Parts: sequence; C-alpha cells; structure tokens
Amino acid sequence: MNVDLLFKIAAVGILVAVLHQVLCRAGREEQAMMTTLAGVVIVLTLVIKEISSLFDTVRTLFGL
Amino acid sequence: MDDVIKIIGIGLISIILIIIVKQYRPEFAIYISLIAGVIILYFALDKISNIINLLKSICEKSGANSSFLEILIKMTGIAFLAEFAVSICKDSGENTIANKVELGSKAIIISMSIPIIYNLLEVILKILPN
Repeated sequence: MNVDLLFKIAAVGILVAVLHQVLCRAGREEQAMMTTLAGVVIVLTLVIKEISSLFDTVRTLFGL
Repeated sequence: MDDVIKIIGIGLISIILIIIVKQYRPEFAIYISLIAGVIILYFALDKISNIINLLKSICEKSGANSSFLEILIKMTGIAFLAEFAVSICKDSGENTIANKVELGSKAIIISMSIPIIYNLLEVILKILPN
C-alpha cells in the first residue's frame, strides 16, 4: 500500500491525454480512441486490484 | 503523529494530481480519488484493528455475551465500506446511486440488529411483573 500507485495512475492519465492529442492532430482519431481505452483498462485493473485487497482486509478484520 | 502527516500528505498530493489530470482526462480524476481513498483507509484499518482487539479483550474479561460484540463489529464494517462507496458515488456526481447504496447498507445493518433487539425485549419482559 504505497503512494507511488497514485503517481503511476496520474502518469498514465497524462500520457493518455498527450497521446490522444498527438494522434488527433495526426488525423488518426481511431488510434487515439484505442490508446485512451487502453489507458483506462490499465488503470482500471490497478484500481480493482487495490479495492479487492481493501475489501479482503476489511472482511478479515471485521469478520464479515 | 507521522500517520496524520502521511494521511494529510496523500490527500493533498492526490488533490493536486486530480487538478492536473482533470483538464485533459476527467475520468482519471475519479480513479485517483478512489486510490487515494483506498490508501488512506489502509492506514485507518491498522488503527481500527487495534481498537477491535481491545474491545474483544475487554468483552472477554467482563464476561459479557460476546455474540453482541461480534454483531456490532460487523455493523461497523458494513458502515465503513458503505460510507466509502457512498462518498465515491457522490464525488462523481451520482447522488441517486449513492442514496441507493446507503439505503441498502442501512437495510442490511438493521436486519443484523434484529437478534439484539429480540434479546432486549426478552430481558425487559422478564423484568416486568406479569
């Protein structure tokens, strides 16, 4: 449970935004949409892993 | 003391990151706030586990009925998680979903409190001269 997760997600967000702009300027809107979706999927897997570990901790702790 | 600083630091850092990312990709702002919430909750969970162990030891010493304490701890766990989800939903502007989650968690908590209320009524009935 470390803080660099925050920076990782922010970095992916900014990277996807920049890529989106660059690809849009280059006239390839489809690739731009693809990179955005890829970024969202990557971040989503990270977030879901963290949330599931939080829920497991809470379950064992509170005896749910 | 350093835990407080750690929590405040994470909160501020995530706010700054959210502001940066919100201009370009609004959906990433929700992810950052989610992860910040999870990290801060982890620090809170360490403290809460100590509190729960203390409560359990007190309950055993006093010889009281420990099943009630189990139910109470379960209730706080449900409230803990429900509040996490409700604040995330409200943050992203979905008040209806937040209210539904809150309603569901309240219903679960009330349904768990039925045995306690039943025992309470039994005790009261015993006391009353019939």
